[in-house]
Amino acid sequence: MKENLLEKLQKVFYGDEDLRVRQVQCGISLNVVCLDTMCDDKKVSAFVFQPLVYISDAKSVKDVQNKLSAGTVAKNPPNFYSMVEDLTNGYTLIFDESGGCVSVDTRTTVGRAVAEPPTSMVLRGPREGFVEDVKVNITLLRKRLKTANFKTINLAVGKYTNTAVSLCYLDTIADKSIVDNIAQQIENISVDGVLDSSYLARYLDSNKTVLFRRVGVTEKPDVAVAKMLEGRVAIIVDGSPMVLTLPYLFVEDMQSPGDYYENSTMTAFSRILRFISVLASVLLPALYVCLQVYNYQIIPLQFLITVMNASEAIPFSPLFEMMLVLVIFDILREANLRMPSAVGISLSLVGAIVLGDAAVKAGLLGAPAVMIGALSGIGLFTLPDNTLVLSLMRLIITFIGGTMGLLGVTLSIIAILLYLASLQNNKTPFLAPFAPNIPQDRQDAIGQKPVPQMTERPKSIPNKNNKRRG
Amino acid sequence: MDKNRIGINQLALLYLLSIAGGKFLTLPSILAKDVGHDSWLVLLFSFLWDAICLVFLLFAVRLNQEKQLDISAILDRTVTKVVSKIVMAIFFAIFIIRANILLSSCYKMFAVTFDVSTNWIVYVIPIVVISFFAVKLGFNSIARTTQLLFGIIFICVFVLVFSPISQVEFTSLLPVGEAGWGKILATSFTRSFWFSDYLFIYFVFDSIKVNKNRVFAPVIVAFVIGAVLTVLMNAMFVALYGDLAQDFDLAMTKIGVYFVSNSSNGRWDWLTLSIWLMSVIIKIIVFIYCAYKSLEKIFGFNKDKFNWYAGVFIVALLMLPMFISADVVLSTVVMWGLVPFVLVQYLLPIALPFLTKLALRKEVANG
Repeated sequence: MKENLLEKLQKVFYGDEDLRVRQVQCGISLNVVCLDTMCDDKKVSAFVFQPLVYISDAKSVKDVQNKLSAGTVAKNPPNFYSMVEDLTNGYTLIFDESGGCVSVDTRTTVGRAVAEPPTSMVLRGPREGFVEDVKVNITLLRKRLKTANFKTINLAVGKYTNTAVSLCYLDTIADKSIVDNIAQQIENISVDGVLDSSYLARYLDSNKTVLFRRVGVTEKPDVAVAKMLEGRVAIIVDGSPMVLTLPYLFVEDMQSPGDYYENSTMTAFSRILRFISVLASVLLPALYVCLQVYNYQIIPLQFLITVMNASEAIPFSPLFEMMLVLVIFDILREANLRMPSAVGISLSLVGAIVLGDAAVKAGLLGAPAVMIGALSGIGLFTLPDNTLVLSLMRLIITFIGGTMGLLGVTLSIIAILLYLASLQNNKTPFLAPFAPNIPQDRQDAIGQKPVPQMTERPKSIPNKNNKRRG
Repeated sequence: MDKNRIGINQLALLYLLSIAGGKFLTLPSILAKDVGHDSWLVLLFSFLWDAICLVFLLFAVRLNQEKQLDISAILDRTVTKVVSKIVMAIFFAIFIIRANILLSSCYKMFAVTFDVSTNWIVYVIPIVVISFFAVKLGFNSIARTTQLLFGIIFICVFVLVFSPISQVEFTSLLPVGEAGWGKILATSFTRSFWFSDYLFIYFVFDSIKVNKNRVFAPVIVAFVIGAVLTVLMNAMFVALYGDLAQDFDLAMTKIGVYFVSNSSNGRWDWLTLSIWLMSVIIKIIVFIYCAYKSLEKIFGFNKDKFNWYAGVFIVALLMLPMFISADVVLSTVVMWGLVPFVLVQYLLPIALPFLTKLALRKEVANG
């Protein structure tokens, strides 16, 4: 059986001109096999061929393995499947005539350099961001967690992509049952390929949530480490700069990476502003429409006169007018995202100033509606990860508010809260620490305690050790 | 995790919202019609009966915390399955009638105060859909939603109740007991249908998470706050409006008249009213949840799957106000059902600790 492994490998890779096979003599005849594009030539030369030049008395591949001390990894693949996996990952395989095999790590490190992530820029704090290489990403975590308690579980997902996935956690903090559960969930994934961590995120959401994101995502190693120190698990996917973190709470959306490097009072103020702006973004258009259509008595008289003057010549109903403003805003945002940044600026100018101004002057839209729509739109960006969901929600609530009045808005709020309150993932209620109320965890929710006073880990994230310095 | 699990603090908050949720609409004018300015005394007596029953009920919850038997299991083992099903049928009737009356009051409030007149079906269906959604998600999500909304709702209740307090002349409530103590006591019995907000506890009896025997304090505190607020609100209402009180059948909307009603400031009290309305909707959701669970216990259908026949049946019953007015329901159906209703409202909670003990003893005996 063993004698045929090289031939079998050549058969499997038949037609792939990337496969290199070279015969070397060093006491016995050895076949060195690698995939040209996946290996680093310098590593193949330094870790494989150069040591082999000095070996002249090898009797088997085992002797060769013992003398290949320059490389970091030289192992015996246990079966044919592992050989294929190693080869496609950039390892070089050495076969002897009897069918023995050694696999040497000669992976290429092609990839971009560590840089500041464009989606999570901060005024203060570390500027390093994750890159696409799983090894570099683990290094970025290890640089910050110099402890033997840092553990990784390496898995591979995807029938064709065989993507490396690493689960990183601190074994003295993270709840082992949660780590095992996540590992089990990843092992059970049956998919052709995993091209980004967002593929995994969909499988890790046990509730299969339609609207809200249930898995944390970060591009910053300092954020991932902070979450691991609270008992969470970081999931690194090869080829993705986005690292997933689990369990995940809704309140994490309100937190920004820069919060922990600022004064806690300022942080609390910023978070309250974010919270208010999200509420205003989602509810303001709906309230504006339903107050204008049904309950204008609530609006102060001066304001009401201004609104009436501005909208009396508008040919649309208040609901249609507002929906139009919101949809135009969403179209502009979507177009802006797809455009190169230079064109994006022009697009923003054309959209916001020319289009908005022209629509008001032409008497198609009222200035108050445009202002409310714009205010609501800007507010959405305080939660950049949820902009789309919130945008969809405000459209729906505005429509319901416009057709059912305050009752519709009230019912929409209750329905959304009921749904959010029912979500639970990895023993963690999504709306903790507010529902259920966990006072201990409010130290880092909307408000934030100064770091020296945060002596306990969040109770809502199951962990082994509740004391932060214990 | 059990999707119906509820913490004792969550239970207390939900109970408090239930007390404040429904009694600020049509009840004050009904009581004013019955006993004039002594209506607050009727509330006081009714809450007194409620307090006694609540203590017994909580005692039963504490007894049940280890084995966590549900209410129908306790009744099945102690008073036979037939009686158990009859009790569940009475519960079903109570919850459906209460839901109908609250829905009617809200409908009237929207039509009269907010000037939004819609078709009854268009008005009821969204509320019922959300209630069924809550049934599917479990009681836990209702409790958590209450926890989230409690702060803002209660601020609004305080604002609405206390804003006109400086205008109130409490001396107009004198002489106390003018309607006659016998009549006041009799009214507290005939209007008992509006009370016993603890009834929903029967349907989460096996899912209450109790910490270190801390059963009584949070719920009793919630009850006291709710009762004081309701009595105060009612006293203020009759003191403000005197003999006219019986003609204003939506007390909460009238009590804010002396609030910021200046048109240049806008009717901001209406916004607070809308937020308070959330507690009424939560109460309706709880009633529909309990009505569904009563049917589930009577017919024993699958707990994990929503039963559409039960759903359609409940929807059909909630359409009744299209044909029969709430006043007729209160003066006929509720009056006929007063005795069976009182049995489950007041007798069952008092008997429940003994029944629970008996059921637990049988459970132990059966291994």
